[in-house]
Amino acid sequence: MDLLIFLIILPLFTAFALGVINYFFESFVFPIIIGSSLVHLFLTIRVASLAFGSPIGYYLGGWDSSIGIALLMDPLAAVMSILISSLFFLAVIYSIKYIKDYILKYYILLFLLLTGTMGMVMTGDIFNLYVFFEITSIASYSLAAIKKEDGGVEGPFRYLMIGSFSGLFLLLGIIVIYFSLGTLNMAQIALGFGSLDSFIQVSILALMTIGFGTKFALVPLHTWLPDSYPKAPAPFNLLSSGIVVKSFIYALIRIIYTLFGIDLLKEIGFSAILVYWGVLTFIIGHTLAYQQDNIKKLLGYSTIAHIGYITVGFGILSHKGIVGALYHLINHGIMKGALFLTLGIFIYYFNTHKIEDLKSLGYILPMSGVFFVIASLSMVGLPPFNGFISKWLIIEGAIESGYILAAFMIPIGSYISLTYYLKIFRMLYSKPEDGMKAKRVDWRLNTPALILTMCCVLLGILPQFPLHLLEKVPSFLLNSQKYITVFLGGS
Amino acid sequence: MKKIYPLILIFTFASLAIFLLLPEISGSRTLSEYYINSGVKDTGVINLVTAILFDYRGFDTLGEATVIFGVASAITFLIPKRKASMTSARFSPIVNQIIKLVIPFLVILGFYLIFYGHLSPGGGFTGGVVLATISILFTITFGIAYSQKMWSYKAKSLMESFGGMTFISIGLIGVVAGSNFLANGQAMFALGKSGDLLSGGTVPLLNLATGIKVGAGLAIIFNSMIKED
Amino acid sequence: MRFAYLIVVILFCQGLYIILTKSNLIKMIMGFSIAESALIMLLVLIGYREGGTVPIIYRDFSTVVDPIPQALALTAIVIGASITAVMLAFTIKIHKKYGTIDLNEIKELRNQ
Repeated sequence: MDLLIFLIILPLFTAFALGVINYFFESFVFPIIIGSSLVHLFLTIRVASLAFGSPIGYYLGGWDSSIGIALLMDPLAAVMSILISSLFFLAVIYSIKYIKDYILKYYILLFLLLTGTMGMVMTGDIFNLYVFFEITSIASYSLAAIKKEDGGVEGPFRYLMIGSFSGLFLLLGIIVIYFSLGTLNMAQIALGFGSLDSFIQVSILALMTIGFGTKFALVPLHTWLPDSYPKAPAPFNLLSSGIVVKSFIYALIRIIYTLFGIDLLKEIGFSAILVYWGVLTFIIGHTLAYQQDNIKKLLGYSTIAHIGYITVGFGILSHKGIVGALYHLINHGIMKGALFLTLGIFIYYFNTHKIEDLKSLGYILPMSGVFFVIASLSMVGLPPFNGFISKWLIIEGAIESGYILAAFMIPIGSYISLTYYLKIFRMLYSKPEDGMKAKRVDWRLNTPALILTMCCVLLGILPQFPLHLLEKVPSFLLNSQKYITVFLGGS
Repeated sequence: MKKIYPLILIFTFASLAIFLLLPEISGSRTLSEYYINSGVKDTGVINLVTAILFDYRGFDTLGEATVIFGVASAITFLIPKRKASMTSARFSPIVNQIIKLVIPFLVILGFYLIFYGHLSPGGGFTGGVVLATISILFTITFGIAYSQKMWSYKAKSLMESFGGMTFISIGLIGVVAGSNFLANGQAMFALGKSGDLLSGGTVPLLNLATGIKVGAGLAIIFNSMIKED
Repeated sequence: MRFAYLIVVILFCQGLYIILTKSNLIKMIMGFSIAESALIMLLVLIGYREGGTVPIIYRDFSTVVDPIPQALALTAIVIGASITAVMLAFTIKIHKKYGTIDLNEIKELRNQ
C-alpha cells in the first residue's frame, strides 16, 4: 500500500516547504497549511479504513523487513492515526485565529509534531521509534515556550530537562536490545526475546517504562506536565494532551505487548504493577487537580489522572480492558480538546487564567459555557456522555480480571473530579453584574470546539460504531505472534 | 542531606548497569554479517556506515535531519534578538588574513567530505559541519553583521528548506520508479562500479542534500545563539 | 573490554548524578552531555570486534567492526547536539528573564 508513507512524508514536506513558500508566495501560506492538513486527514481515513481489513506493511527502500526499516499499520495504529490527524486538523483551524506570535515557526513546528507522532505510531523499527520520539519531543518543548510576552520559560525548561533525561534511558534500552539480539526490527526482537536472560528482560522493561512513562506522566515522573501548560497556547495544550502524550502511551504499549507477550507480562507480575500504578496515578492526579486555582494547571493534572485510567485499562491485559482503555484514550483526546479549546476562547476574549476569572462568563459566552459544561461532565464520566462508556468498560474489565480494588477506585476518582468541576461551574454561572452583554465568538474558534463537543455527545449516545471498530484491535495486541507474522510475512 | 538520595539512586543504578553489561552476551550477529557481506553488492557503496545511513536506514537520516531543522526553527524564535555583543571583540590583522586564507580550503574540505562520503570516512553530516564552520568563523572574526551580509538568515533558511525538500524528492523518485520510498538499487538506479566517485545510485545526492541542510542548519543555530543584547 | 564498560557506566552515572544534584543550569546541561557521550561510547564499544578494521570494504579483509552501531552513534550524536542547543537557548532565555542561572536563586525570585 503506497499511500502509507505519505502520512509521514506529507507533513514533513509541508514543514520544509513552508519557509520557501513564505519567501516566494506569501499569500499561499494559509491555504497550503489548511490544504495539507485536510489532505492528510483524508489520506489517513483512506489508509486506516484499509488497515481495519488487513494490516498494511511498508518497506522503506524496498528492502526486506528484517534488513531495512519497515512501517506497519494494524488496527491499533489505524485508530491512533485517525485520532491524531483529526485533532490536528481541528487545532490548525483554531490556530488561524488564535495564534499571533511567530506564525510561520509555529506552523512549521506543528507539522513536525504531526510527523513525529505519525512516525511513532507507524514505525516497526525500534531505533526509528527513538528518532521520531525526539522529533516529537523537540517540537513540543519549543511549542510550549512559543509565547512572545511574559514567556513562561521555567515550565518548558523543566519539561525539556526531564524529557531529555527520559530520552537517555530509552536510548540505553535500545542499545541493550541491539547488544543482546543484534537486530532493531520489532518483530525479530520479539522472536528472539524469549531466549534472553530474565535479568536483561526485566532491565529492558524497566528502561522502556521509565523512558516512555516520563513522557506520558506516570505519577512520580509527572511534574513537568502541569508546569508546561499554563503559558502555552491553547491549541498546543489540545495537541499535547490529545496527541503527544497519547502517542507515547501507544509506543510503550506497542513495545511491551509485542516484545514481551501477555504470558511473560503476567508471569513477572507487570500487569498488576501497571494496574496499581494507574490507580495511584489517577488518585494523585485528581487530588492535586482539586488544589489548583489555575485552570490550565488543573486540566493538566486532570490529564495525568486520565492517563491513570488508560494505564489501568491497558494493564488488565484482557480484551475488554484494551477496548475500554483505547476508547477512553480517544474520548479523553476529544473531551480534553473541547475543554482546552473553550478555555482558549475564554482566554482569547477575557484573558482568564484563574478560576475566579471565569466569573459569570457562562452568560457572556453562552455557547462556550455550554461546551465547557458538557465536556467536563463527560470528563467526570456521567451518562449519557462518552466518558461514561469508556470508564464503564474499564471497570467491567477490571472486575472480570479480578482487580476489584482498582474497579472500586475508579468511581472514587471520578467523584473527586466532580467536586473540582462543580467548583468551576459555580464560578462560571455565578450571577452576572448589570450591563453584561452576550458576546459573539469568531467562527474559527467556535467550530472546532463545537465539533469536539458534538463528538462527546455522539460517541456517548451511539458507542456501537466506534466500539465495533475497536473490537478488531485487541486480537493483534494480545497475540503478538500475529503481529510478527504479518510483519515478516511480506506485503 | 538533599544529595544523599540521588547518590543512593545512582549507586543502585550503577551496580545494576555493571551487572547488565559485564556478562559477555553473544547475541546473533546475522544483521551486521549481512551488511558486511552483501552491503557493497546491494548498494554499490564501499563505506558501509554510509550505506547504512543513506540506504538501508535512510529514513533515520531523514529523521535526524528533521531534528536539526526543528531545532534551527525553534532557536530563532527562542532567542529573537537582532544585535550582538560578540562583534566588539577585535582581532589583529593576522587573524583576519589567516581566516581569509583558510576559508577556501575549508570549502574544499567540506565538499570533499560530502562528495567522497560513500568512499571514505565522512559524509553529509561531517561535511555539513565543516561548511557550517565557515559561517561560524566569519561570525567570530568579522562579526555577526558581516556574516549576515555574506549569507543572510533568509538565504540559509532557504538552503535548509531546499536541502530537506531535495532529500524527500530523491526519496520520492523511488516511489515513481515503482519501488518504495528512498529506494536505491531496488528502484533500478544505476549503482555504478563500486569504488568510483559516481557510484552508489542516490547515495551521493542524498549526501549532498544532507550536507547543505546540516551546514545551513548549524550555521543558523550558532548565529542565533550568539545574538544577545 | 570490561574496563571500557566500567568507564561507560561511571561516565553515565556521573552524568545522571550531575543532572539530579546540581542547581546551576549550565552544569546540568554538561551532565546531560556527559551521559549522552557515555551512551555513544557504549554504542561504539558494542560494535567493536577483536582485530577489526574500519567498515570500508575496498580490499580483502579478515574482520570488520560492526557498522550498525556506528551509524546509530552518528544519529545519536546529532540528536544529542540538537537537544543541547535547545537547552542552551532556554538557558539564555532564563538568564535574560531572571539574571541568574542558579535554580535556587530562580526559585527565590519567583516566590517574591
